Amino acid sequence: MAPSSRPQEKKGMADMKCSVAVASMHDYLDGGLSRESSMSLKHHLSECSACRTRFNELERTEALMLAFPVEQAPSGLEDRIMQSLPKSRRPAAWTGWVRRHPAVSAAALFLVVMLSSFVAMWNQDRQLSIAGPDLDNVVIEGNTVTVPAGQQVSGDLTVANGTAKVLGDVKGDLTVIDGSVILASTAHIAGNVKKIDRAVDWVWYKVTSWFGTIAYGS
Amino acid sequence: MNPLETRLAKLARKGDQRAFAEIVGLYKDKLYHLAYRMTGNRQEAEDVVQDAFLRVHKNLDRYDENQKFSTWIYRIATNLCIDRLRKRRNVYSLDAGSSDHEGLDGYSMLPSDDRTPESELLLSETQQLIHEAMATLPAKYKSVMVLRYLQDLSLQEISDVLDMPVTTVKTRVHRGREFLRKKLEHKL
Repeated sequence: MAPSSRPQEKKGMADMKCSVAVASMHDYLDGGLSRESSMSLKHHLSECSACRTRFNELERTEALMLAFPVEQAPSGLEDRIMQSLPKSRRPAAWTGWVRRHPAVSAAALFLVVMLSSFVAMWNQDRQLSIAGPDLDNVVIEGNTVTVPAGQQVSGDLTVANGTAKVLGDVKGDLTVIDGSVILASTAHIAGNVKKIDRAVDWVWYKVTSWFGTIAYGS
Repeated sequence: MNPLETRLAKLARKGDQRAFAEIVGLYKDKLYHLAYRMTGNRQEAEDVVQDAFLRVHKNLDRYDENQKFSTWIYRIATNLCIDRLRKRRNVYSLDAGSSDHEGLDGYSMLPSDDRTPESELLLSETQQLIHEAMATLPAKYKSVMVLRYLQDLSLQEISDVLDMPVTTVKTRVHRGREFLRKKLEHKL
């Protein structure tokens, strides 16, 4: 290792500049200096006292830094950390799925909202209602609207959500919405008998009006 | 790759709280040390450690098992520290001029230590000097130096943690070391 034993390198070593030497010092302290460069540095240090001083200082700094004791976390920190954690990681998995499938999630949410509003509105609309200009002779029993035998309804009769039982005369049209019609042999209806099953129309109507609400905010 | 840590991470990911407690036990001192050296403040260090473990817990699904667990957890903690230093600096940059001096930016002039007098007695004079020198290190070099010395990471690992090229890490270690040398030379 003595410089005299490697005369060929000695010439090159003598040319080493202090700036190069300092870079080599750091590489040496980083543990990444080649054997050849180490020799050059060693030679330079033997000739340059300023660099020797610097190298000693750097080595001392390095040693002090490496010897610096590790701080201990305050006692109780571990417990505080464990207590601050959410109890279960499952909800995170669920939200993770939602985040990964935004379109499916939005569609599912949409369906739930639509269905629940349908159900709510459908139920509100299930009550029996009757309409017509002349309802004096009509008898209502539960869900059944009866035009008794021998009696006469002088105009149209509309029954929603119920059964229309006609024994007598209806001078106009009989319209039954979401219900059924019972016609006795004695019945006489001057106009047409119309039965409307509203469910499909109603859904369509609600969908369009719902979109109308979204689009126009009214 | 440390198979124990990776296994613990996998268990914790499935919701095993005891496995997570093991991870906390393995890393709490290391992270606290890192955070204390970075922020220079014990209370902030505690906050950083707690916050770091919460993030680790929350993001276990995102941990890539091909990566070293230590790299991942150090990155989370280091980023939290850097964020804090940055916020602090923003507050201090309102004070005109002080950030012009190398190593004398606002945050380095904060009263950096809140240790109790009793524990201060336990620190040797030399350790006190090093602590002060580290505290005045500019933030850019601080993270590199803290990881280099206090966690004893290789330059390659530091480059992974900080997500910067090894050559940059090297340059910063060299400059940081010179900075410390100058701080310490008259006093040693």
